[in-house]
Amino acid sequence: MDRIECQWCKAQNEPGRTSCNTCGAPLDQRNVVSDSGWTEAPRLRDMTEFRFSSSTCQVEGEIVPVAEISLAHGDSVFFEHHVMLWKEPQVPMSALNTGGGMKRSIGGMPHVVSVAHGPGRIAFSRDATGELVVLPLHPSMEIDVREHAFVVGSHSINYSFVRIKGLANVLHGGSGMYMDRFVTHNEPGIIILHGYGNVFQKTLQPGEKILVEPGGFLYKDSSVTMNTVQQNIRTGLMRHNMYLAEMVGPGRVGVQSMYHHHGHSE
Amino acid sequence: MSTPEGTSSTYTCPYCRQVSDGGGYSCTSCGAPVDIRLKVTKSGWAKQPPIKDMARIKFNRSTCQISGTQVPVAEFNLDGEDSIYFSHHVLLHADTKVRLEALKMGGGWNRILAGMPLIMMTAHGAGHLAISADHPGETLAIPLAHNHAVDVVEHRFLVATNNINYRWENSGVWFTTQDGDEQEWHYPIGQMMDRFSAQGGPGLLLLHGPGNTFIRDLSQGESILIQPDSLIWKDTSVRMHLHFEYPRGQYWFSSARWQAKSMWLRLQGPGRVAIQSVFEPPEMVGSIMNSSPATTHYW
Repeated sequence: MDRIECQWCKAQNEPGRTSCNTCGAPLDQRNVVSDSGWTEAPRLRDMTEFRFSSSTCQVEGEIVPVAEISLAHGDSVFFEHHVMLWKEPQVPMSALNTGGGMKRSIGGMPHVVSVAHGPGRIAFSRDATGELVVLPLHPSMEIDVREHAFVVGSHSINYSFVRIKGLANVLHGGSGMYMDRFVTHNEPGIIILHGYGNVFQKTLQPGEKILVEPGGFLYKDSSVTMNTVQQNIRTGLMRHNMYLAEMVGPGRVGVQSMYHHHGHSE
Repeated sequence: MSTPEGTSSTYTCPYCRQVSDGGGYSCTSCGAPVDIRLKVTKSGWAKQPPIKDMARIKFNRSTCQISGTQVPVAEFNLDGEDSIYFSHHVLLHADTKVRLEALKMGGGWNRILAGMPLIMMTAHGAGHLAISADHPGETLAIPLAHNHAVDVVEHRFLVATNNINYRWENSGVWFTTQDGDEQEWHYPIGQMMDRFSAQGGPGLLLLHGPGNTFIRDLSQGESILIQPDSLIWKDTSVRMHLHFEYPRGQYWFSSARWQAKSMWLRLQGPGRVAIQSVFEPPEMVGSIMNSSPATTHYW
């Protein structure tokens, strides 16, 4: 029997489904790709449901979407505490040991990453118009995410953080000093991100380069290297240093269309 | 499909007034959908439909593709002989082969004082680059015919083709208030306004309108009152001045400070005006002491 491959996450789905069982992307719509190869992240339909491990996630709303998770016994999810919208009282909570407290403090990253354990229901949302981006991770995958952009991750994913090299990033903000790194080992997992505005993804070939406004960067495969490129701009007596992120393939790069530009705090 | 001999299929876009064959699903000059009915409110405002996802707009030898719906991205496929300019903070991504340079502009000090963007960049083809704003809303495409100009409220400009001349002028709309010993100057639509005019051929101007956008074609002498902060752009032929209303007379409870008052921007035709549904109400603390030409009405 023919199965339907999800164009976003490549998972196989049984015939008759209208949304992917793994990431929620519509299966009855083609990927929307711009002339230069940027793919729009799929707009998850209101009330779309998908599964991870033994749990389910339902996405509600379209302007500031909510991810409502029904955790099965034995499953858990981790998240930054301020993105939790509501939870059932009996859902047990704990804290994830992230390590590197001082570095995280300097990098402006959350000290406490909370963990919710099943069984029970819990919901998450962010504070601005945007899209939820569901990224299922196969075993042995690594993905780097802009700080504060991740909404929730499943328990099988190892969570750490990496420093962005380059003094310019330290001094001038951009996407910040650190990025969240999510790694899977033997089990698959899922992370859900929130991108401000609309989200687009492009897959870079080996050696292929693209310049991205650091405030627009959302995520990348860890195989994509990120360098800071300085552009000196002069207008009369005025001089301005502009920093762009040079992304070099191979791998996926995700950007958000509403971004925080240089010098503005998140 | 052939066209019967002696006839031709022409379509005049109700939003940008440009003529095309209307064969596609969107206007090739401004990207507005052609396959939906013009929605006009009973009072005469036409809701400008959002540019459809992935619609293409042609200009010179290049194309601009609009993608996304909440905070749309304008993605340019620039020909080697074309170039565009924009404020540097709206650049989202670019091919490494696109040449980025600063645009030479005078009047830097005035621009600083008026809170206008100081650094403008030009991008020269060939290659792809993308521009986006940082607020939810709509991208508005305004094709400008040779020698045609429009006035745009500051901070609405997104990007323009290089044959569009850019200058800025005093908006001429201001008032002062007195609260105790403090006198304050107010510029309800900004101290400056951007003026864009096409030179040496048609050009393309892209703006960003937060919220939804409505346009209206005012006839000669017709006027309308709007919230000053909702104005996006207007034809240069449209005149504007302030209008104050005092619902409880000039002074309420014998206090000039707490007098009830409201302020509007009067737009007078002929010409097109565009407003956005998102705005901030003006600050109106204190007595109005002086203003640019204005009308007053006491209820």
